[in-house]
Amino acid sequence: MTTTQVKPLTAGTAGTPDRTSSLRQLMQVQSFQILLVLLAIFLVFAALAPEVFPTWGNVRQIIQNVSILGVLGIGMTFVIVTSGIDLSVGSNLVFSGVVAAKVMQAMGDAGWGTAAVGILVAVGCGLGWGLLNGILIAKAKVPPLIVTLGTLGAALGLAQVITGGVDIREVPAVLQDTIGYGNVPGTTLPTISLVALALILVFAVVLHKTRFGLYTFAVGSSEESARRVGVKVDRQLISIYALSGALAGVGGILSLSQYGTTAIAGQSATNLNVIAAVVIGGTSLFGGVGTIFGTVVGLFIPAVLQNGFVIVGVQPFWQQVAVGAVLVAAVYVDQRRRAAAARGHSSKTEGRKRLFGLRSS
Amino acid sequence: MKLTPRFTLLAAGILAATSLTACSGGTASAGGAAGAAPKLVFIQGVAGDEFYVSMGCGIDAAAKSAGATVNTQGPAKFDPTLQKPIVDSVTAAKPDAILIAPTDVAAMQAPLKAAAAAGIKVVLVDTTVQDPAFAASAISSDNKGGGLEAFKAIKGLNPNGGKVLVISTDPGISTADARVAGFEEGAKADSAFTYLGVQYSHNDPAEAARLVSAALAKDPDIVGVFAANTFAAEGTATGIRQAGKQDQVKIVGFDAGPAQVKQLKDGVVQALIAQEPASIGTQGVEQALKAIKGESTEKDIQTGFKQITAANLTAEGAQYVYKSTC
Repeated sequence: MTTTQVKPLTAGTAGTPDRTSSLRQLMQVQSFQILLVLLAIFLVFAALAPEVFPTWGNVRQIIQNVSILGVLGIGMTFVIVTSGIDLSVGSNLVFSGVVAAKVMQAMGDAGWGTAAVGILVAVGCGLGWGLLNGILIAKAKVPPLIVTLGTLGAALGLAQVITGGVDIREVPAVLQDTIGYGNVPGTTLPTISLVALALILVFAVVLHKTRFGLYTFAVGSSEESARRVGVKVDRQLISIYALSGALAGVGGILSLSQYGTTAIAGQSATNLNVIAAVVIGGTSLFGGVGTIFGTVVGLFIPAVLQNGFVIVGVQPFWQQVAVGAVLVAAVYVDQRRRAAAARGHSSKTEGRKRLFGLRSS
Repeated sequence: MKLTPRFTLLAAGILAATSLTACSGGTASAGGAAGAAPKLVFIQGVAGDEFYVSMGCGIDAAAKSAGATVNTQGPAKFDPTLQKPIVDSVTAAKPDAILIAPTDVAAMQAPLKAAAAAGIKVVLVDTTVQDPAFAASAISSDNKGGGLEAFKAIKGLNPNGGKVLVISTDPGISTADARVAGFEEGAKADSAFTYLGVQYSHNDPAEAARLVSAALAKDPDIVGVFAANTFAAEGTATGIRQAGKQDQVKIVGFDAGPAQVKQLKDGVVQALIAQEPASIGTQGVEQALKAIKGESTEKDIQTGFKQITAANLTAEGAQYVYKSTC
């Protein structure tokens, strides 16, 4: 019984024996399909507003506006691959930003020294909340939904306690000028997007090419099986929630840089937006399947839809309708694949081959 | 053929794509005529709020008579992190002018400055930003005067004085802060009244109701509450009704949406301080069109407000009630 469970699930993860077809592994079937959907949406808007929509200036600002969500999406992908959930990312981001802003305000000057301390403080705060989430989930066995729902309220509440609910708007100018609104020298690529891209690449390698990543998939496929083959499940879970928290801390400092304010009242829907992007990108809420690449594509769909709707002058409410449709379709696809695997007709790998028309049998 | 997952997903995407082409047809062609009619974009503070709907009615009417087109956009919540992407997208579309109610004085500064730098005329309506030097014009209600007027209304309802409380929305919103400041000034200057301070409801009626319930538990002898915006007024009324103190606590609301007017009719709220959103919108369009033509604009315009009570609601107060549709 245990062996039949383990076999298809490890086959579904990256970094297993057929390492050779790495391109196909990267474009796991659903994230590749969703890329096609994204391209279709892009082409429709490009046809509707050919002089405005498909320009670098417009694409650049879409990229800039998804950068912070991209950083949060990395951690969320890891968490959801373990069949967990992290609702606290938005509050954690606000809390980290608030504490960092307070510290930088106290230090007074607006130079890089202050900014560096602020960055460390923000990441440290995020890491702290992440560790708390992880320990409660792994050691105290409280379900992730409840733990992170609790820290969602706690982090936001403490942020309001610290500030009295009044946004702090004294952010060092170097942060705003370079990270927030600056470009990478010699290009027009926003610095904030380069930061996000670098983190995405690093953690994509970690998830898909390292033992840490493999263990993440193993825990998500079957926690019990992973434990039996010697994976330190508790430590793995704590590390993953800590990672998600630390990345929320990075998001906090990026948000301060971009908005120049702690925006305490903002970010209330950030957690759900990030979860939706991860799921649209093909990561299974039931764990064991997922890619960072899919998450990035999943983030661009709502962003491109909103941008396109604004440019062609459609009511913004339609964006939510369209994103909702794509989200439900994505989960439906995941469910069908799981049902097929459960019936024993095909493992995940075979299912993927069938979808590409490459089935050999 | 069976419904394969790939087919389903693509179908959903195509459906989403076609549905948006279907509903965008009219507006896209109207906006496509470059050069001829000036293109205006109105960015609301939050979509669906009657205050912004009334302002939009004023803007639409003024633009129509001037032969300009208006594209209205707004975030789902009063939140700068949601409004900024909209502003960026609008800037990319390069309309002739943007009329916007900024959701945060700091966060919207840079995106709007970038819009102005791209040659788009920016008119700030209702709310403003830290340094509005780039804007062609800033039009708002005299919010501090409105706050003071709200205190006078409470004083009129409670001539003997007592404890008074303010339920505001979020800190950092220039208009709400000014209303609170005006009220605070009036309350502190009058020795008969004790000012209990301000609580922030984050634009959530349920939160406002909780805050008022808690405040009444702490100070059961509160005589007056000034609810600084629409959502705060809705929640405050709920909180007071939950505590069963409708007869003791007088509420003065700011804004006059249909919900507030109904509360005024029902006797839950005793007075409303109404702004003139349609007038803000009309003047906003006038200033925007002047700026587009290169004429000089008025940098700072303040519009008035009107006290609405049950007594004048059916008479001259009626025209100041906000609309949910034009």
